[in-house]
Amino acid sequence: MRYAYYPGCVAQGATPELFTATKAVAERLGITLEHLREASCTGSGVLQERDPELGDTLNARTFAMAEKKGLPLMTICSTCQGVMSQANFRLKQDAEYRAFINRFLKPEGLEYNGTTEVKHLMWVLVEDYGLERLRSLVKRPLTGVALAPFYGCYIVRPSKKLGFDEHPERDTYLEQIIQTLGGVPVDYDGKTKCCGFPILTMNRENSLIMAGNNLLDAKSHGADAMVTPCPLCHLNLDGQQADAARVKKTQIGLPVIHLPQLVGMALGLAPKAVGLNRHLVSTRRFVAKVPA
Amino acid sequence: MRSIKLNVKRYDPEAQESHYQEYVLDVEDSETVLDALIKIREYIDETLGVRCSCRSAICGSCAMRVNGHARLACKSKVVDLSANGDTITIEPMGNMKPIKDLVADMSIFWAKMRQVQPYLKAHQPPPEKESIASNAAMHNLVGAKNCIMCGACVSDCASLAVDETFIGPAALAKAYRFVDDPRETETARDERLRELSKPSGIWDCTHCYECVQVCPKDVAPMERIVDIRRAAMEAGYKDNNGSRHSDSFARSVKKSGWLDELRLVPESLGFDDIGAQLQYVPLAIKSVLKGKMPPIIHHKRPGAEHVSRIFEELEKD
Amino acid sequence: MYHHDVLVIGAGLAGMRAAIEAFRMGADVAVMSKVHPVRSHSNAAQGGINAAMGGEGSEDTWEVHAYDTVKGSDWLGDQDSIEIMAKEAPQDIYELEHMGVIFARDDYGRLATRAFGGATNQRTFFVGDITGQAILQVMYEQLMKSGMRVYEEWFALSLIKTDGAVTGVVAMDIISGDVQVVQAKSVILATGGIGRVYEPSTNGLICTGDGMALAYYAGAPLMDMEMVQYHPTTLKGNGALLTEGARGEGAYLITSEGERFMQRYAPNKLELASRDVVSRSEHTEIQEGRGIDGCVFLDCRHLGEKLIMEKLYQIYELALDFANVDIVKDPCPIRPGMHYIMGGIKTDTDGATSVPGLYAAGECANVSIHGGNRLGANSLLETVVFGRRTGVAATNRALSQAKLNGADEGSLIEEQRGRFRDLMDRSYPGFTAAKLRLEMGVTMDKNISVFRTDEGMRETLGIIRGLKEQFGKVSVQDKGKVYNWNLMSVLELEYMLDVAETIAIGAVARKESRGAHARTDFPERDDKDWMKHTLVYNSPDGPMIDYSPVSITQWPPERRVY
Repeated sequence: MRYAYYPGCVAQGATPELFTATKAVAERLGITLEHLREASCTGSGVLQERDPELGDTLNARTFAMAEKKGLPLMTICSTCQGVMSQANFRLKQDAEYRAFINRFLKPEGLEYNGTTEVKHLMWVLVEDYGLERLRSLVKRPLTGVALAPFYGCYIVRPSKKLGFDEHPERDTYLEQIIQTLGGVPVDYDGKTKCCGFPILTMNRENSLIMAGNNLLDAKSHGADAMVTPCPLCHLNLDGQQADAARVKKTQIGLPVIHLPQLVGMALGLAPKAVGLNRHLVSTRRFVAKVPA
Repeated sequence: MRSIKLNVKRYDPEAQESHYQEYVLDVEDSETVLDALIKIREYIDETLGVRCSCRSAICGSCAMRVNGHARLACKSKVVDLSANGDTITIEPMGNMKPIKDLVADMSIFWAKMRQVQPYLKAHQPPPEKESIASNAAMHNLVGAKNCIMCGACVSDCASLAVDETFIGPAALAKAYRFVDDPRETETARDERLRELSKPSGIWDCTHCYECVQVCPKDVAPMERIVDIRRAAMEAGYKDNNGSRHSDSFARSVKKSGWLDELRLVPESLGFDDIGAQLQYVPLAIKSVLKGKMPPIIHHKRPGAEHVSRIFEELEKD
Repeated sequence: MYHHDVLVIGAGLAGMRAAIEAFRMGADVAVMSKVHPVRSHSNAAQGGINAAMGGEGSEDTWEVHAYDTVKGSDWLGDQDSIEIMAKEAPQDIYELEHMGVIFARDDYGRLATRAFGGATNQRTFFVGDITGQAILQVMYEQLMKSGMRVYEEWFALSLIKTDGAVTGVVAMDIISGDVQVVQAKSVILATGGIGRVYEPSTNGLICTGDGMALAYYAGAPLMDMEMVQYHPTTLKGNGALLTEGARGEGAYLITSEGERFMQRYAPNKLELASRDVVSRSEHTEIQEGRGIDGCVFLDCRHLGEKLIMEKLYQIYELALDFANVDIVKDPCPIRPGMHYIMGGIKTDTDGATSVPGLYAAGECANVSIHGGNRLGANSLLETVVFGRRTGVAATNRALSQAKLNGADEGSLIEEQRGRFRDLMDRSYPGFTAAKLRLEMGVTMDKNISVFRTDEGMRETLGIIRGLKEQFGKVSVQDKGKVYNWNLMSVLELEYMLDVAETIAIGAVARKESRGAHARTDFPERDDKDWMKHTLVYNSPDGPMIDYSPVSITQWPPERRVY
């Protein structure tokens, strides 16, 4: 299996452990990733806010690069997935609009014809790789580990533009993967709520309350750790957890695991090899909980 | 006909207590959650409190939480929710107090609405006949105007859930309807944009798409909020963290092709806000210690010159 | 106890328009509504609002509009009222535009029009297919701007009369359950229609004829109540309305074989004949076996996706959500369905009823614009023109009145509380109020609908009278105060049964066919004996029937052909 690989900015910046873990896991699974080093930021919704056409052009450029390689595009960031899915939705359905956007790609010798599929690693595992195949590679089942799936927003909403018509179960994949890896999914309301990250610099208090509420919700339902497919959620849930606890006037101490880290652990990779030592909230108790 | 189970959250206003009550009844496949609730109150339990009127997603009375998310009960087919005979859970809207059973107190909704001065401020006196405006400009407002004030977006708004001062999705979508109305005076539009750029306004939306997802009329309130942000920045209301964040983000992507995270936070907070800057110092130190600080020197991506070019061309366009 | 100069009961378009006018004139005005104003049923008006503006390339004049309306009414509409409406329409539309309504525009940025049923010229102004909603929202914006008092979710129980004049209302605050007295020098009823008297109906569950019943009890006559409109395009299944604007934009009506059957009934206007004519044609086609499952089809396919998405988006959604039909790709099954009542509280051209201090506007009133059959897009127009005029008249009266003497609040409240107690103390009779309502609705729809017979109408009148007796046993199971829907539904049923009786009485009495009142036993219009209004009064001996002449200004009766 081969994908054009789009890790996104944060996996190459503030959450380098996600990048490391993905690389290690892909090797184990036999997935070849061709890193699109020339691809730009998706705009993350922020550039779209300034100019929707700018956002769509930057993403069309990335899609065109994958299309040129004849490969589907894989990302490991929910935010990138959400933004790219929405851009692709517009670009695919309207040839006239696509032609307009292509004018800006031409000087670089690129053209997007609307054929690229964009898939988050979470979707790839379930839809392309297959859970049975994944199960057969599990070396260290996560038996007895209670894991709270945290989808966040961009990979589940708006469902109309995220392929839920063809894949209506996309909001249960984390649970399915957790079960495949031998773990116990925890059900709680917060799993598809906002982590608070997008307003961290605009309204820090609100942002931290959101993070704190979701973490405490998961914890009160017995989670040993939280699992997320989104590095931006991770920045708030892990990076800001201490401050969130302070705002909520309580202790939290809930490790937040990137999805590929979780897969890596079950595949038998060493905690360090998937960067579990690089979290701000200690992952030691989680690591200890995973049967050897 | 199929037999269904509804688990309805009841609120007794006299005792001020909530509990869930299960109702089992037969419905046709074509019937909606509202049809089922009406059957219950008409023939099974006349004490059930529910607001409803038109039964065709026009009047906006019957928003409630169905299986955890706000929906119009009249637009929710029972078969879609309970294909395998699963119990359907019905609760009143969130972010509002219950009055009785599924009837929610919408006073917060209307208070927010009044806060945005929800009426056209056109030139006075008006023209003798109609104001001249393009059909495109009018049609552009239909999306926002489609709002039936059902409250679903407010019910499920993540920012409102943690902060009652947030103006919220419905009122902001309403405000957009005036911001983008060519008949509104420049002064009035300017005032609106200035007001909406303040704390509790447009920049407090957390961009979670919950309102876009639950809106039964495709108003997409969050996208309307985004429209106002754009208009506010263009109008020069930039002395806020939201605009600074946006500018910093755009600067770094334009220059290097990707995000310079190290600059983003301090630039968003504004360098004169020392207090806010200091809040992030412990995090920065811990991140460095964990070896997860973004690179100090932010290198350009290969091909970044094309990203810069695209920015420039579209800025001209 | 609360006091106002003017109290408007009902916050749909007519009510809010009246209140805004009273506010502008400096009156202390308040609005009372059993639902939040934006939930009002004016919301459901889709297609548009008529006015003869004679714009770019149009030869339309107010006279043509008036003539079309007279002809649509089958010469039962009062021509003085109709002239006023047609003349004043353009200014009222401009005013709506100035308030902020986002009417569709033409290429010059002027207000655009679409074709509508029964109209010689194209004169229907619109906002997609959400015209009612778009106007209602703007009207409520104006209400918020004024800051006037709105008694939101208050249910009117009884009008207060002092020395023969109406001086206020006793009402229940639905949220708290408290009974309250609101005094006012003028009271305007704007409570809308009676859809729930029928089953099925396009109307919302709130359309229970409250204002008509209140006026009737207070001594005002109800006029032409037998004139009940069946809309030609209501959706199979839940009976939702699909706008006439679809046909205005060019949609066809077809049989199961795909034939455009209207060419056999209305060779000139085809699908855009008046509603009574189209509904009868559909009924005939279905009866003669050219439909499927009791429906014929609305065919929008040739209009194209772009037009449908821009101008008929709501009905696209309705058909998809409630009948699983994509109107872009498939014809949509439809049938005639009860939609509107032309009849109502008799008023003069300023909205005054025969009872001093009591006014009425909108669907609950009968200023006699629509006569035997209402033209599409004249109802929204009626609400704004006569809402405004009624606001003026009610305010003028109120401002010229001396301060009201205080009402006997205690006994007024106790009277209602006693009623509630009686209803709650009764033992359960083995049936609910809803069951009685359903029986009423079904018999009304069976016999006082598209085609009528003496036998059928008498059967229905008998059933209604039987139901009124059974109503005496109905009990309220919910003993709570807060948001007691059960109690309200019983009170509404009482209103509806009395209104239903006036409809049946008027229908049995009128021995001719005119407009919506099409009798198979009297198939012709009889101008000699029946060009007159039916009046039904409430009396201690039950309903009393009387008649009054139709106002003719310049259009003597003609044969009605479309």
